[in-house]
Amino acid sequence: MTLLPWKRATRETNARPSSFEDLAMPLLPALYNVAHWLTRNPSDAEDLVQETFLKSLRGFASFEAGSNFKAWIFRILRNTYLTSRSGLAARRTVALEEELREDGESAPAAYPEGAIDRETPELNLIRLADRAALHGAMEKLPPPLLEVVLLCDVEEMKYKEIATILEVPIGTVMSRIARARAHLRESLESNSFHKGFRA
Amino acid sequence: MSDHLSAATLNALADGELTEEELASVTEHLHGCPACTSHALQQSLLKSATERAGQRYEVPDELRRRMERIASSQSTPGRMVERRRSSLLSPSDGPAKWAGWAAVAALLLSAGGMAVFEVNERRVQTAAVQRKAIATELSDQHIATLAVNLPPQVLSSDRHTVKPWFQGKIPFSFNLPDNLPEGTKLEGANLVYLHNRPAAQLLYSIGSHRVSVFVQQRTTGTEDHAPAAEQEGFRLSSFNTRELDVVAISDVDPANLANLIGLIERAQVR
Repeated sequence: MTLLPWKRATRETNARPSSFEDLAMPLLPALYNVAHWLTRNPSDAEDLVQETFLKSLRGFASFEAGSNFKAWIFRILRNTYLTSRSGLAARRTVALEEELREDGESAPAAYPEGAIDRETPELNLIRLADRAALHGAMEKLPPPLLEVVLLCDVEEMKYKEIATILEVPIGTVMSRIARARAHLRESLESNSFHKGFRA
Repeated sequence: MSDHLSAATLNALADGELTEEELASVTEHLHGCPACTSHALQQSLLKSATERAGQRYEVPDELRRRMERIASSQSTPGRMVERRRSSLLSPSDGPAKWAGWAAVAALLLSAGGMAVFEVNERRVQTAAVQRKAIATELSDQHIATLAVNLPPQVLSSDRHTVKPWFQGKIPFSFNLPDNLPEGTKLEGANLVYLHNRPAAQLLYSIGSHRVSVFVQQRTTGTEDHAPAAEQEGFRLSSFNTRELDVVAISDVDPANLANLIGLIERAQVR
């Protein structure tokens, strides 16, 4: 069995590094992972990461020492993605503004109790060890929901950090997380239903 | 509005975003509400499964090298100065020059030794992280199985039913023991995925304790990373053959768990 080492690498950055290399290199695995998810192909992901490194290196002088480097460089990655070929294509194909109400204040109304179907059998959801199904469910997420899942669940960032990276209110982050999880649950349940679990 | 916790609260709970007061209030509610407890568990499982599944892509070596070059370019001017200064040593420097070379050689040897030490150290750390990760994934799967009320995918205590059920579902085969100790019973099995590879989850009961035995194909070049012996209060016991990795997890006492895993191990040599 193998384990991707990036998670550990990103957590072991407490040794007060100060150079760009010391700060950025431990985050490379996480940046590449997120870039690959967003662009959906290795070549574009490499371009995106390289562009992010170059931009952040150029802007490193303006980075405030002691502030959140991870959030800073992820914000650069995300902004670079939005203006990249794959990012623009994704934005064209997803009716983002119509699908997602960006006003954080009214967001909870969009997923009051419906986001969690209280009658749903737990099992369908909990077949989560089927990683292929989860990959499929994540791939189906619209980009704005996928990125929030990657930052919240995979990168374990706080809502406030995510809001900074995405440049949206915290309420919007919460709304997107709820929608993303509802989407994932729905996909997994639908997947389970079609596969049939009984012998 | 129902009395149950809202989706936003359940998400915030799973994400560790509740304030102390909110957490106290939610905890109190969960103590008296099995439905919300079940949904909180689901949220937590979904989050941890998404976390694992999301760690999907590894950095290509070539990209890593390129990024290292870019990132280190920041300190390149300093290095250039050092290099230029060392080239200013003239032949007339005599013994001082050789002393310099000796110092450099000693430094290189020392740096080489340190590098080997660091590589070994990193390997040990990686192995420990891998063992922990395997144990976490197994315990998550075991807890998920315990948490649901539905029967296993194949519900049978007959090994002649359970084993054939996996035909065509997994790319390997295994044997199940003929006779089990008194109080130990085969309850059924599930097809699950561990690290994105199919595995057989055999479900046993020993008295009132449940045991999951995960059987997975051993891949070429797999390093021997036996999972940690304990995880979240569960005990793990494992063995491997040339073709299989087998791990049992349960809260039953270690002797009974070892006895069961020993029987399964002996069954593989038939």
